[in-house]
Amino acid sequence: MADAKANLNYTVSYVLTKPGADPQPYLWRHGVNEEGIEMEQLDQLNGPGREVVRMGEKVSYFESHRAPYSLASGYIIGPMPNVLLTEPKSLLSSYDFVIIGKSRISGKVAQQIRMISKDKSRYGYNLWLDQQTGLPLKINVMDLNGQKVEQIQVTALNVTEQPDPYFAKLQSATMPAVIQLVPTKDAEKLWQVDYIPVGMKQVKHSVRQLPDNAGSLEYLMLSDGLVDISIYMQQATASSAESDIVARFGSDIYFSRKQGAVLVTVIGKIPANTANSIATSVTRVQ
Amino acid sequence: MTHKHENLSAFVDGENQDENFVSDILNDDEMAAKWQRYHIIRQSMRKEMPISADFDVSASIAAALESEPAILAPKRTWRDLPVISNVVPLVRSGGQLAIAASVAVAVVVGVQQLNQDEQQVFNPAPASYPGIQGGLSPVSLEQTQVTPAVSVRDHQRRINAFINDHMEQVLLKDSQRYLEDESALVDEVKSEANQPEVSQERENLPE
Repeated sequence: MADAKANLNYTVSYVLTKPGADPQPYLWRHGVNEEGIEMEQLDQLNGPGREVVRMGEKVSYFESHRAPYSLASGYIIGPMPNVLLTEPKSLLSSYDFVIIGKSRISGKVAQQIRMISKDKSRYGYNLWLDQQTGLPLKINVMDLNGQKVEQIQVTALNVTEQPDPYFAKLQSATMPAVIQLVPTKDAEKLWQVDYIPVGMKQVKHSVRQLPDNAGSLEYLMLSDGLVDISIYMQQATASSAESDIVARFGSDIYFSRKQGAVLVTVIGKIPANTANSIATSVTRVQ
Repeated sequence: MTHKHENLSAFVDGENQDENFVSDILNDDEMAAKWQRYHIIRQSMRKEMPISADFDVSASIAAALESEPAILAPKRTWRDLPVISNVVPLVRSGGQLAIAASVAVAVVVGVQQLNQDEQQVFNPAPASYPGIQGGLSPVSLEQTQVTPAVSVRDHQRRINAFINDHMEQVLLKDSQRYLEDESALVDEVKSEANQPEVSQERENLPE
């Protein structure tokens, strides 16, 4: 699967469905040029459009409401979970993989694979991969009760000999400059998260400030490569705006809870139960 | 079984049964209970019911009480937290990094508070707000719990700020990798400039 994702020339159309929102169609193209550089494009087809282009390790964003810009990154962050396509083996510590069988998806023979979170702390995945190329044809994200949380349905998958002509145009075009990020200094830890779901590790730690939020927040990101969880910790105040709340946006959860003297906010594509376990495990560093 | 019941009925009506019948009833709880009920039925039919009929319900009440779950002080779990069914955060254009194509458009459109007399529905986002696709559809923000009169807009702004930051962090996650290679160098520059330790990422992103 990883080989196919990186080495083939293909064009994929797919539709992303999330609860409470209209299905969104996407066009995803991938090509490798003569120098062996990977080129990738992800285009949101409805509305004013949002286009993301990757050339090697430079990802450029073209959006309707701001100037184009680029980031140094090895992949496009889109509905297709990149890690699943490039390094599925890295998920073995977090998920159990079960081969279900064959079926027909998007007119192709598909191999169905099920991914189950080892400690039931994350959503499960149902994957249907193209028998020939290993590229995904359908991805269902299921909660622990088997309810669909998110779905990607491929409507067309074309593998070609040559990269799409679109990429020839790109190579001559100049891309916006890469934004230089200032590295964050590792700040002193005031709080710690004692519960970390199986297979997840801390990938970020910083002290941040947010608009509409007085004071600084301690920020932690946990990730298993597939699911990213943001954890914000701040001194709780009497302010009523900080009252506890669970919200759902698309397939992500927003979970805010006062835990003694600390207000913990957890955001990510995880069940509310897991967000609660994380929030309640926050303790002050002694 | 039916035969036994018929015999019991006959016995209550004064017809003799064989010798073992009485001891059989004594050894059979079900039959004993029936025997009691038949007598009550017989008495009521003959209008011989005592003034306070002793329907012995104490045993069943005791049993019911025993199986009743103990009522404890309510324990606050996350399920008691107010739930906002569907928040669609606003895409902020100023000072915030654009959201990756994957991330759905985000606007909190409507708000309902059950504990208010009139339902409050408003639309904080202008319909022509850039970056919103497919128009706005009313989305409910239901609060299932009585909360202090918090400005709902405050909530929304706060939630939006968090969600936007989360998306930004996810977007920048992989870029961090490239940054770490040169971090030593940039760190020096940074300390010379004597910058505060708060993350400066946002200020470097296009407005």
